[in-house]
Amino acid sequence: MNAATATAGPVSAGSFATGFAWSFARDLTLAIRHPGETLLVVAFFVLVASLFPLGVGADPQLLARIGPGVIWVCALLAAFLSLPALFAGDYADGTLEQMTLSPHPMPSWASGKIAAHWVASGLPLTVLSPLIGLQYGLDPATLGTLAAALLLGTPILSLLGAACTALALGARGGGVLLALLALPLFVPVLIFGAGAAEAQAAGLSPAPHLSLLAAGLILALMALPFAICAAIRIALD
Amino acid sequence: MDHQFYLWMSYGATALALAAEMVALRAGRARARRLIEEERDLEAQD
Amino acid sequence: MNFYYFSSPATFYRLAGTMAPFFFAAALATGIAGLYMGFVVAPTDAQQGEVYRVIFIHVPAAWMSMFAYFVMACYGAISLTFNTRLAAMMARAIAPTGAMFTFVALWTGSFWGRPTWGTYWVWDARITSELVLLFLYLGFIALANAFEDPRRGDRAAALLAIIGVVNLPIIYFSVQWWNTLHQGSSVSFKGTSMHVAMLWAMLLMAISFWMYTIGAALVRCRTIILERERRAQWVRAMT
Repeated sequence: MNAATATAGPVSAGSFATGFAWSFARDLTLAIRHPGETLLVVAFFVLVASLFPLGVGADPQLLARIGPGVIWVCALLAAFLSLPALFAGDYADGTLEQMTLSPHPMPSWASGKIAAHWVASGLPLTVLSPLIGLQYGLDPATLGTLAAALLLGTPILSLLGAACTALALGARGGGVLLALLALPLFVPVLIFGAGAAEAQAAGLSPAPHLSLLAAGLILALMALPFAICAAIRIALD
Repeated sequence: MDHQFYLWMSYGATALALAAEMVALRAGRARARRLIEEERDLEAQD
Repeated sequence: MNFYYFSSPATFYRLAGTMAPFFFAAALATGIAGLYMGFVVAPTDAQQGEVYRVIFIHVPAAWMSMFAYFVMACYGAISLTFNTRLAAMMARAIAPTGAMFTFVALWTGSFWGRPTWGTYWVWDARITSELVLLFLYLGFIALANAFEDPRRGDRAAALLAIIGVVNLPIIYFSVQWWNTLHQGSSVSFKGTSMHVAMLWAMLLMAISFWMYTIGAALVRCRTIILERERRAQWVRAMT
């Protein structure tokens, strides 16, 4: 897989769609060939979600009460742990620099990369969340709202996380620095996401929370790719 | 009254924070001067 | 007239040195006036007694914490757009003072909450967002200092500040979105329900903190300039 196979000709202008498509396909293929990352994310999610009932006791009412929030935190931490791998490999062997020379607009292949990363981390978390929710004794409506909230929220986490990862490329301080940068930015997503499921569990409508999450997702999709590209350029200078 | 404690803790902490910042500003300036001296010494060695 | 005269660290160094004492003096004057109004003129509150007087620190500090972050992000945007050094140095200069005021807002809020709400801490929307703001400041400072090349740190931190500015509207509007324990806004452009002496004391303290922040940022910026430009002729000729 290299950049040359995707261009139409020697001096053709790139397009957003082509750039997105080849970057997405490349990273997805890499993720499928090396499923370790995805399995790690999923295993972490399930493990930590299992730790909480062991820690706070198995009272069903308590678990149902804390379920949405705990599951959200576990998903958030699992997504966070998958972030360093997003750019690290390509940065280390110079591929990131090569991709910057691509004729396709930079936001296109960066978005493709992040989309593939989400498919390999956020999407499995979303799909698994109802199962974990059953372990916590959540009712079907809450399970559905939780999955919907995660579906809207995990892409935002991927985008925000990608921006922080790009900013911290090659920095001293490693994972702790990334945590300090990313986790505060994750907080609004967590509040609205968990709030949606908790509202549903309390019998109220989750629509306000989900609407705000959707608005956040649209804003993130529109604005963050440019910020991520700026961060990558800063890192490569 | 009990409320005096809360007032003192609040205003006291603020005064402490401001004082700490002043001290930090002085210390930063001293450090900058020291770095300039080191630069001058390094250059003098050439 | 050259608008960019003071965008050179050398010329700005002298300007900041001249301006800073005036800002500190203004901060002291308005601070004394504000505290006088707050403790001597303003009456005892009907419900909270004397402890409400924490408001003269708490609210101005909270306002400054948000405003300083916004100004820091603006300097970050300027430094990235024009690729200047000085704007980035000013952003770095503001950050510690902003973080300090965020901490003060949280601390005084905590000690105001204990006698009035019965608890030192509650996970309410505005308080949580203010705590997140403190971490945003710390993240900015950490990122700016995480690289060997200070210019790389400048640019990365500037971009981080711009991304984090989204948190400010969330803090501001959080009290409307969640009807929670924290008091809603009592001060707006339409008018206020506060007693006029309390309002004036609060505004004077806010101006005092603002003047102080500018003064501290100018002094800190001078130090940053000295460190960064220590190999330049004008620095070595100076000391």
